[in-house]
Amino acid sequence: MDLKLKLDQLLKRVEKPGRYIGGEVNSAVKNPEDVEANFAFAFPDLYEIGMSYLGLQILYNVLNRKENIYCQRVFAPAADMEDLMRQENVPLMTLETKTPLKDMDFVGFTLQYEMSYTTVLNMLDLAQIPLYSKERGDEYPIIAAGGPCAYNPEPLADFIDIFVIGDGEKALPDLVEKYIECKKAGMGKADFLKEACKMEGVYVPSFYEPEYSEDGTINKLCKLYDGAPDTVLRAIIPDIESVEFPVNPLIPMVEAVHDRAVVETFRGCTRGCRFCQAGMIYRPVRERSKETVLKLAKSQLANTGHDELSLLSLSTSDYSCFEELATELIDYTKKENVSLSLPSLRIDKFAFDVLNKIQEYKKSGLTYAPEAGTQRLRDVINKGVNDDDIFNSIEQALILGWKHIKLYFMIGLPTETYEDLDGIADIAKRIIDLNYKINGPKGGRFNVTVSVSNFVPKADTPFQWEAQNTALEFEEKHNYLAQKLRIKGVTFNYHDNTTSAYEAVFARGDRRTGRLLYEAHKAGAKLDGWTEHFRPDAWEKAFAKSGIDRDFYTTRKRSFDEVLPWDVIDCGVSKRYLINEAKKAHDEKTTHDCRLGCTGCGMNRHIKCAMDGILKKDSVQERSQRDE
Amino acid sequence: MNNRYAIKFSKDGYVKYTSHLDLLRMFKRAFKKTGLALKYSQGFNPHPKMGFAQPLSLGYSSRCELIEFETQMPHTTGEILEKMRGEMPEGIKLLSCFELAEEIKSLAADADAAEYKIWIPTDLDEEKLQDAMKSYLEKQEITALKRQKKTKKMEPVNIRHMIRKLEISKVGQFAMIKALLDCGSKSNCSPELVISSFCQHSGIDTPRYDMEVERINLFFVNKLQY
Repeated sequence: MDLKLKLDQLLKRVEKPGRYIGGEVNSAVKNPEDVEANFAFAFPDLYEIGMSYLGLQILYNVLNRKENIYCQRVFAPAADMEDLMRQENVPLMTLETKTPLKDMDFVGFTLQYEMSYTTVLNMLDLAQIPLYSKERGDEYPIIAAGGPCAYNPEPLADFIDIFVIGDGEKALPDLVEKYIECKKAGMGKADFLKEACKMEGVYVPSFYEPEYSEDGTINKLCKLYDGAPDTVLRAIIPDIESVEFPVNPLIPMVEAVHDRAVVETFRGCTRGCRFCQAGMIYRPVRERSKETVLKLAKSQLANTGHDELSLLSLSTSDYSCFEELATELIDYTKKENVSLSLPSLRIDKFAFDVLNKIQEYKKSGLTYAPEAGTQRLRDVINKGVNDDDIFNSIEQALILGWKHIKLYFMIGLPTETYEDLDGIADIAKRIIDLNYKINGPKGGRFNVTVSVSNFVPKADTPFQWEAQNTALEFEEKHNYLAQKLRIKGVTFNYHDNTTSAYEAVFARGDRRTGRLLYEAHKAGAKLDGWTEHFRPDAWEKAFAKSGIDRDFYTTRKRSFDEVLPWDVIDCGVSKRYLINEAKKAHDEKTTHDCRLGCTGCGMNRHIKCAMDGILKKDSVQERSQRDE
Repeated sequence: MNNRYAIKFSKDGYVKYTSHLDLLRMFKRAFKKTGLALKYSQGFNPHPKMGFAQPLSLGYSSRCELIEFETQMPHTTGEILEKMRGEMPEGIKLLSCFELAEEIKSLAADADAAEYKIWIPTDLDEEKLQDAMKSYLEKQEITALKRQKKTKKMEPVNIRHMIRKLEISKVGQFAMIKALLDCGSKSNCSPELVISSFCQHSGIDTPRYDMEVERINLFFVNKLQY
């Protein structure tokens, strides 16, 4: 029977069938026969999640602007749809033209979180494509992957043909163009990969093979093809002002998690928090000009009819013209009846004025992330906030009428002791007291939520050598905190311990962990990020079958001279800097924001840092004068 | 001039799998984008004055959907149509736009009956189908199982009095039923109840997902039609 007819029957039997139909406003309409390459952008999670991801909009736009390339989308089906697809033998298809993935030229997965890896495998399986790259001949599409998790590509190395590391706006279309060129020249997959591995940001895992020592660590990485580079430097766009940003984004038909206009103000972060992977791998800070941001925001709103606008970056208020931008946007969005959302604000005096203006009527909730409970530990992680920063901001918030404060902390950070946990409870308690002081002995309706997540050491951070806490340690800390936080008006939330261990295995896993992934997939693991789908039993089975020792990857502290699985990827920041930062962390010494002067991370070997020292001397004086 | 309008549109192809609420959001955005400013309700949580005459079940196609709305400023119906047409997803076709007469409170309140075409693939021939329909309609009571809103339980209900007209014929491999049913806030009969009870009565065991339903007409009180 015709596949489309079969799909139609399936759609009548599943929940939210609108997730599988495509045809949204601004979706690309082309004839797959008329283009030179068909690319499926695959997001290993449900439609509602994937459609909220800005990277999809950006890459969909850059690829489809090319007449000879057709970029289509595919998401993971929900469980009910998957069951029917398997039962009726319907392969995974693209939304736009309902083409089976196995008939595409390229399938490109975006790797946003480690817990989506089993879904990558499950989607390949649903597409009836062999999982292991060595089992795929020229008749199958090239399977590519990119995104922040690709900075440690090794757990997926046996399944993915090509990784694209770094900024994708140029690297990805270049890669597809290269594919077209090779296809025209009559080259097969093997020859194409040899060409591709010479390109910026491209890593072809099958050209390398790790050799292990007796203790299980990597002895060295052997090259199987001489033409492959020794290390792959991530693709870096020197100037994001010049790259295409979508002004006609796809508008989801089924409500997505974030259904709003989004403009990226800048990429990168100057703060240097030592646990933060994003703060390292997106360096240096590259901004869009205020004029461009405004223009993009206005045209996106005009083109979509969205009634919400959000700015996106790693630290919204670090944008160099933030005050001017915020002021203009507040005026504009008010006039247009659009609500403005400014995530990741560093709360200072100006940020408050801004928040106060945009939340005039509904002071929904204020989120603050001290990350650690004591100054000592905040210095270790280089968070760059002190008690005064925290309590002055919160006091201000209480005076302005906020009734709900949400605090984010991490536990299991390097050097953490129970004193640091006490610090978390102290902060919560002091905020409650502050509220009594400001709002009277009854305090009114007021609530503090303390959310605690488990620290997962990530590749390319100064903490990449650190041991993760054991599940038992986490559990004891959670119990301890639960006791300590039995305070009236305080709610305590924490994350599941099992998933953080799995996340940690893959965050720093080597190629052998791919076997674990395979077994987990075989045992039925998928959509592991969803509590309702997460199956610890499947994972336990997979650990047993694959023989992978979880502690080797999670709770083992590495030495600085150990060969790390992701050493083959050069994220731009030097290892010397990471080691230096790791040492400073243990000495409880902070490193200043690089806007106050270069801190020597090594990025300027590749590209000029526009933010280097901009807040030094004159500019700092100017700022403090204005603040007074 | 009261700035109240309605657009008639059809819904066909994959977009029939878009829910009522999702479609409403799509229209809201389209109005915002075209600059056809809608009037907002007063109150604590203002929302635009806009709504469908009758919601359409997920999976049905239609050639007679109506959305009514009130704008802040007067517009010509031609302008509205032209602007809104550019904003529709694949499968939504805007057919016409008209002003709502002063005396009509709202289309939603005035909806009275709806006509559907139901396509059921079956081996039964025309004669057998006609016989089955005849005996089905001769019944004093036609019981169908309906999910109760509050208890979520399936309860038997009598739908005979809500069926205004049923005709059946064989078209190719399909039994095609034309059904005129109560539709509106006073009395409402979902085609699903007719489908399940008729199939049971006539012994048709075609799975539901092989059938297609299309709404072809909406009727309003005082025999009005748009």
